[in-house]
Amino acid sequence: MKPIMKSSMRRSSSRGARHSVAAVAVGAVLALTATACGDDGSGATGDKGADGSGKGEITFWDNNGGVRTDVWKEIVADFEKANPDIDVKYVPIAATEYQSKVDTSIQAEGLPDVGGVGAAMLAGFAAQNALEPLDERLAKSSLNGKLNEDMVKSLKAAGGGDGTLYSVPTSANNGVLYYRTDLFKKAGLDAPTTWDTFYEAADKLTDKDKNAFGYTIRGGAGSIAQALDAMYGQSGITSFWDAGNEKTTVNDPKNVAALEKYAGLFKKVTPAADLNNDFTKMVAQWDSGTIGMLNHNLGSYQDHVKAFGADRFRGIPQPAGTGGKRVQVSNPVDGLGIFKSSKNKAAAWKFIEFVTGKAQNSKFNESAGQVPSNNDAGKDAWVSEAEPTKLAAEALTDGSTTIVQLPYYLPDWNTISKTDNEPAFQKVLNGSLSAKDFLDTLADQLNEAQAEWNEQKG
Amino acid sequence: MITKDIDTVAPAAPAPVADEPPRRPRKGRRAWDEAPRWQIYLPLGIYLLFTLVPFYWILLFALREPGSSSLVPWPITFEHFDKVWNERSFGTYFENSVYVGLATLVMTTIVALAGGYALARFDFKVKRVFMLALLCSQFVPGALLLVPLFQIFANLQLINSLVSVIIAETVFQLPLSIILISGFIRNVPYSLEEAAWVDGCNRFTGFRVVVLPLLRPGLIAVGSFAFVHSWNHFLFALMFLSNQEKQTIPVGLNSLMSADSVDLGALAAGGIIAAVPVVIVFAFIQKWLITGFSAGAVKG
Repeated sequence: MKPIMKSSMRRSSSRGARHSVAAVAVGAVLALTATACGDDGSGATGDKGADGSGKGEITFWDNNGGVRTDVWKEIVADFEKANPDIDVKYVPIAATEYQSKVDTSIQAEGLPDVGGVGAAMLAGFAAQNALEPLDERLAKSSLNGKLNEDMVKSLKAAGGGDGTLYSVPTSANNGVLYYRTDLFKKAGLDAPTTWDTFYEAADKLTDKDKNAFGYTIRGGAGSIAQALDAMYGQSGITSFWDAGNEKTTVNDPKNVAALEKYAGLFKKVTPAADLNNDFTKMVAQWDSGTIGMLNHNLGSYQDHVKAFGADRFRGIPQPAGTGGKRVQVSNPVDGLGIFKSSKNKAAAWKFIEFVTGKAQNSKFNESAGQVPSNNDAGKDAWVSEAEPTKLAAEALTDGSTTIVQLPYYLPDWNTISKTDNEPAFQKVLNGSLSAKDFLDTLADQLNEAQAEWNEQKG
Repeated sequence: MITKDIDTVAPAAPAPVADEPPRRPRKGRRAWDEAPRWQIYLPLGIYLLFTLVPFYWILLFALREPGSSSLVPWPITFEHFDKVWNERSFGTYFENSVYVGLATLVMTTIVALAGGYALARFDFKVKRVFMLALLCSQFVPGALLLVPLFQIFANLQLINSLVSVIIAETVFQLPLSIILISGFIRNVPYSLEEAAWVDGCNRFTGFRVVVLPLLRPGLIAVGSFAFVHSWNHFLFALMFLSNQEKQTIPVGLNSLMSADSVDLGALAAGGIIAAVPVVIVFAFIQKWLITGFSAGAVKG
């Protein structure tokens, strides 16, 4: 009995072992075959010259994937049709992850050919010497003179202070005060075109027992830029720096008073959950609740149309201050840049030229609800039909509004205005930190960054 | 400690019959049985409410029509699922995530078995140092290693290949898996393996025939953790995969969110597609999972 058991066990065991090993090996080979075929991550796979011949494949990273993906895919298809010898690999990347992906890819030498490079990220990428200067290409291009001069200037200023253009503008955004016309009409309120009427409406529209609020404040990610908009809008201060360009005006007593009043809205006329509001929660809350007003930008217009229809809300420029003077902080201009590591820059430039041409620029901005960078596209009929875009375009160009230019050129701007101070702003909202202490700390950090910047510039 | 407490609480309990296993004190058991039902169901109900409301919210947004503010998903629409699956490439992302999840599961389990067996059955000089290194490796966040990993995979031409993510996920799963598996193997009496050797098996066959079947709960625990972790993990897939055709579900979900606008219906539908496989996996394995963890973690 025993030898038989032993022998059969041996046979079956060795057979089973062989089968197991073979199965694992075959499985591993199949899995690796199915999943392999990678590359070195260097983006371009076309020509290997410094500039390339303008043919082959290019990779394009969209810095704001999501609802724009559909229109980008259309534009890419149009481009490939017009340029059959160039293939574009489109990669949508969420805006929240874009900077970290590019920063890591700069260190690891894994950048694409073309990427979205907005003013807010431009200084950081330029400081790492990752971007190709585009002035000469633009000067020789048919686009020369057809792009909005203010947007070009804004991107030049954000790119490192030497006046070099690293990103070709595609669109501009602008702060918008959205308000529910149905709720305002019911309460007998006028449009909130001044800060006084804004505060009055926020108060009157609040009825906490019925879960109705006058305003929703941004307390989570992105809160600082919105708070700055409210501060400068109320104080009427028109410059971010003093005359010597060394000390910031953020902690000017007028700004401190404005922030105290603005932060005082929290929980008084806003939901308590606003403390953690990023734009997603804030917009979703406004679209699905009974809240009178919301500050956001042109980008969420289509979401509100879906939620309310076009006739139950309006999007107007920020309220005007005393004497009818409107002051707003700048919104980052968005654009496209070529990464220095690209081995197919000629094809990448063709793509940028195509995208910022009249037809595609108009198509893109109509879909995104933003202000076109191409002057001819800005004259298209849809611009005057979309009220918030029309009003924003007017505010940016007709001289009625003073724009306070935020220091996007500081490589530390994103860190200071987000990571370092958003948690502190939450403390201001819940009353555990005074507006003055918060702004003093913010001012110290900005002054230090500006001093370093001035020193580097010489 | 437990025995001492029981003695203190129930000193008058009758001595157990020698042949019977020790029983739970009757007093405590009766008190538990006689507790009013609401004392059990109320806390459970409140807990479930907090757990299920977010799921209901996701279902609501995924199934109701765009622009609807109804609190009930009626009329039901599958428009959002159609959109994310067909227009936003979730079909491809799903397939890629399944590849990554299954490959990570297989590789983690095989290597953890080998490593765990070595730790459980062999004494070697640097065993303690090795265990310490395994534990310490748990403290290193993946983000710290992104750049060196990227460069290694770039040199191996593995960027934009799912293999890079599978390798990275496996490597990060292994320390905990090896420690867990070694605990399970220690619980299998060595004498069983010795008996198999006496019957003519070599070490590998003895392990495969005698030990491996007893490790099923542990393998399920380790394998399911490896699968679920790699299914949900975002960072490596985001950094190593820049080709949309190679991206995984978490990256796809993230790319549905723009800086200024979010299609909540599509996001909710994508969330359900991402959650369903994990829910199914846990529904099937929960019995073995609990057995596995109690056996490996407590006794190991």
